[in-house]
Amino acid sequence: MKNQINSKKLKLYSWLVILITLAISAWFAWELAGNARMETDLDEYMPKDHPAFVYSDMAEEWFNIKDGILIAIENPKGIYNPGTLNKIKNITKALQDMETIEDADVTSLYTADNIVGSAYGLDVKAFYKRVPETNEKLDELRSLVRANDMVQGRVVSEDETVALVVASIADSVFSMTFYEEILAFADTYEGPENIYVAGVPIVEGTMAYLGPKDMKKMVPIVIGVIILVLYTVLRSIRHTISTLAVVLISTIWAFGLMAVLGISIYAVTIMIPVMLIAIGVADGIHLYSHLRLFLDEHPEATVKEAISDMIRNMWKPVVMTSVTTAVGFVSLLTSEVLPIKYFGFFTAFGVLMAMVLSLVFIPAFGFAFGISRSSKKKKQQIPKQSFTEKFANSFALATIRHKVFVISVTVILLGVSIFGIQKVWINSSFLENFERDSDIVLTDAFVNQHFGGTSSINVILESEHKDAMIRPEVEKLIDEMQTEVESLELVGNSFSISDYIRRMNQVMHADDPTFDVIPESQEMIAQYLLLYEMSGDPENLWKVVDYDYRKANVTIQLKSDNSKDINQAIEILEKYRAPFSELQVEMNYAGSGYKALVFTDLILTGQIKSLLLSIVIIIILLALMFRKVNIGFIGAIPVVLTAAISFGVMGLFNISLSTTTALVSSIAIGIGIDYAVHFIERYKIYALQTRDKSLTIRETMHHSGRAIAFNAFVVIMGFLVLLFSVFPPNRSLGALVSFNMFISFIATVTIMYLVLYKSNIFFKNKK
Amino acid sequence: MKTIQNLSITVLVILLGFTQGFAQMNGQEIMEAVYNNPSGENIQGQLEMRLINKQGDTRVRELQQFIKDEGEVEKTIMFFLSPADVRNTSFMNWSYNDGRDDDQWIYLPALKRVKRISSDSKSDNFMGSDFTYDDLGDRHPNEDAHKLLGEEVFNGYDCYIVESVPKDKDYMYSKTVTWVIKENFIGIKRDFYDEDGDLLKILQIKKFEKISGYWVILNTQMHNVQKDHRTEMIFSEVKLDQPIPSNKFTERSMTLGR
Repeated sequence: MKNQINSKKLKLYSWLVILITLAISAWFAWELAGNARMETDLDEYMPKDHPAFVYSDMAEEWFNIKDGILIAIENPKGIYNPGTLNKIKNITKALQDMETIEDADVTSLYTADNIVGSAYGLDVKAFYKRVPETNEKLDELRSLVRANDMVQGRVVSEDETVALVVASIADSVFSMTFYEEILAFADTYEGPENIYVAGVPIVEGTMAYLGPKDMKKMVPIVIGVIILVLYTVLRSIRHTISTLAVVLISTIWAFGLMAVLGISIYAVTIMIPVMLIAIGVADGIHLYSHLRLFLDEHPEATVKEAISDMIRNMWKPVVMTSVTTAVGFVSLLTSEVLPIKYFGFFTAFGVLMAMVLSLVFIPAFGFAFGISRSSKKKKQQIPKQSFTEKFANSFALATIRHKVFVISVTVILLGVSIFGIQKVWINSSFLENFERDSDIVLTDAFVNQHFGGTSSINVILESEHKDAMIRPEVEKLIDEMQTEVESLELVGNSFSISDYIRRMNQVMHADDPTFDVIPESQEMIAQYLLLYEMSGDPENLWKVVDYDYRKANVTIQLKSDNSKDINQAIEILEKYRAPFSELQVEMNYAGSGYKALVFTDLILTGQIKSLLLSIVIIIILLALMFRKVNIGFIGAIPVVLTAAISFGVMGLFNISLSTTTALVSSIAIGIGIDYAVHFIERYKIYALQTRDKSLTIRETMHHSGRAIAFNAFVVIMGFLVLLFSVFPPNRSLGALVSFNMFISFIATVTIMYLVLYKSNIFFKNKK
Repeated sequence: MKTIQNLSITVLVILLGFTQGFAQMNGQEIMEAVYNNPSGENIQGQLEMRLINKQGDTRVRELQQFIKDEGEVEKTIMFFLSPADVRNTSFMNWSYNDGRDDDQWIYLPALKRVKRISSDSKSDNFMGSDFTYDDLGDRHPNEDAHKLLGEEVFNGYDCYIVESVPKDKDYMYSKTVTWVIKENFIGIKRDFYDEDGDLLKILQIKKFEKISGYWVILNTQMHNVQKDHRTEMIFSEVKLDQPIPSNKFTERSMTLGR
């Protein structure tokens, strides 16, 4: 009678818990729908007070350095015909008419200044205002362009089949709508010429657009596969639903809290559900795995007894794993990059919520909807051991028997990984995130093939002395540096004040090519610049030098945005630091390409720092939880191995890290710790219960090893789906998560288990 | 008697008012009066040009300039005094009344040669300043359609406000609005609007004086509001009464310095 009342009450409470949980979720979801804000401006990701960024931002202001959108107009028959020239003019004017683009920021054959020398003097004029119609005039234009290497090869390709219109835009201008507008705009000019749109803003835009779009499509499939696999291991719809509900609800809560706090969603935020799915299912799987084993042993137990036993036995490992995982993610707060801090904090929050839900929502769900019992198993179980039990037993024994093999494989793997880790590099390239045959990569390659390059870095030279930049020694050194860096295949072009000076010198000497050099006197340079200002468009000059001639900007155009390539160019530029310094000229870098390079480096070092920090924290936490120092070290084995091997493999196979994939190593902590704690806790329980080492290992392997295997299997299968993504970064994400899961699993049930066994912990005192 | 006197005064006032009413000038007449303000045939003096960019960086150039109006052609020659590395650089401009492009020469002492320079149009900026060649010259009133917008007290002067819309639709400005001082027909402020009808530049006369019977502008500032760039021109030691010989405006004299 009393039992009945209790179970009625229990059911009521359970429904209350479920309803409250759903109500909170609904509220968070509502907040999320109303307040979620996506952040696409990459500058918002960068630490504002980092010296490199502060300097670059300043330099961008001085010289009006902006990223350019490149519109290439291809006519295979050549651009020198009225139609194509008219198109160049119309595109230029239409871009200048756009609210967000300043007139002076559009460069093309139509806007370019033609500085030409003639017998009697200097001529600075536009190449054309009215579109030339006659063959004679077209030929004249063609020869004018050919004679001017400040234009030929820069806005008109060497083979004269492609012309370029460049529109520089401020970072703040860029938005998803602007991106779509530009693409639609370019599209209207298509035919008979081919129109291509490239440039850093376009690549960034496409990525910001494609990544989340692909994720939106892939995540439901991932969840679908996880549901299927979860069902095959749990063999219960109810258990599957509640396990998954915990993951999804904790994700909604994490995102909902973000929306409530008014924190915008960054690209790396996409990684939060990835982490929570990978880590969150573990709690449910371990709980239900225990429940199943309990029911197998006690087929007559009531729902209440079964759930009570599950919570009594499992609350500790669930809390321990969640707390250590959360602490591991909290260590990301040491990062200098704001979105990474948020990522760490909200993943930790999500993990803790998943813990609370596992301990409250799952039991409530069980009381409300009942639990599944395996009816078949009851009959089978009595005569013989189940397959899993048999397999677990022999696996446990085999590992011990082949201990030399296990240890040597581990040591070799670790050694090779440490070797590989040294080769790990992070690639800030945006372009390499796309398929080799995707439109954006092909367009980029096309523009790179015909022009100086779609990416750029800026070398900023600065001196305390007025007029420093027009000293012939400085000018010559700039010229020398440009010549050397241009010898690199990936450097298409470079541009600086010295190009103007050389051009003027030649022009003022009746276009004699022997005068295409820096003149010997400062007066001459100053007078040339004055002359240029008087006859040309001085605004172009302020993009390469400042008002006092104290600072100069050298733009290096690159055909690749790959970090290795950029570093190759920087290596050459660095050779000039000392000679410049002798002339009291300081050298720095600026521009979006350089910022991306520094930024990704910051993420990688930050990631490694927080990884090391969290390993230390984990060791301490485990030692405290189990009140044994050794356990701290043993428990850290899967974490360390997973992190080391996954980085090692990337280094060895020359797979570069990107901003998001670098974060996957955090998963090593979350999962490695889960596995280790569950395994050790179970081992401890059996050790104290049985005091029989051989029985302990077999039981532990059967109980905990089985749950770990299920867990790994479920998540691996789920994330392997991402291999079919159309977006390469999402593919590598899927591969990496799966790989990390697999290594964590293997490391836990082999080497960690072996060390645990050999250490005699939990047996010493008792025997 | 007294009432008659009072009455006559009233009549006089009314009459005066009427005269003024009849004498009310239209936009075209005001701009013609501005154009016809005598400016002297021989002008010389020093010019300090201050260029100030958005960041507040300032560059200063000092020049000695000579201007001679020979009727058909207005000749200008300028010699740089500073900065030091461009000292003695000289610039000569011949501006023709018949609408031909200006002839321009430059002498670079480092090169020791006089070079002709040519620029496309009068919309080019003068020496990197915010003034175009056209802004500096006198634009004939017949090139625009003028409209009197109203009257206003500006900087303490009673002014007419005249809007001028160029008859040539391709002109660099879509319109200008000028504040003209009523008593001497000096344009004291002018707003320039770009092709799209947005305010582009504001010209202000900060200081003017009567020298040798002519009104002479001594300090003028052009502010490009779209780029936030300013040019200030300060004239000093202005002389209008000394004849300048015609041979001052030759390529040879450019090489000699002032």
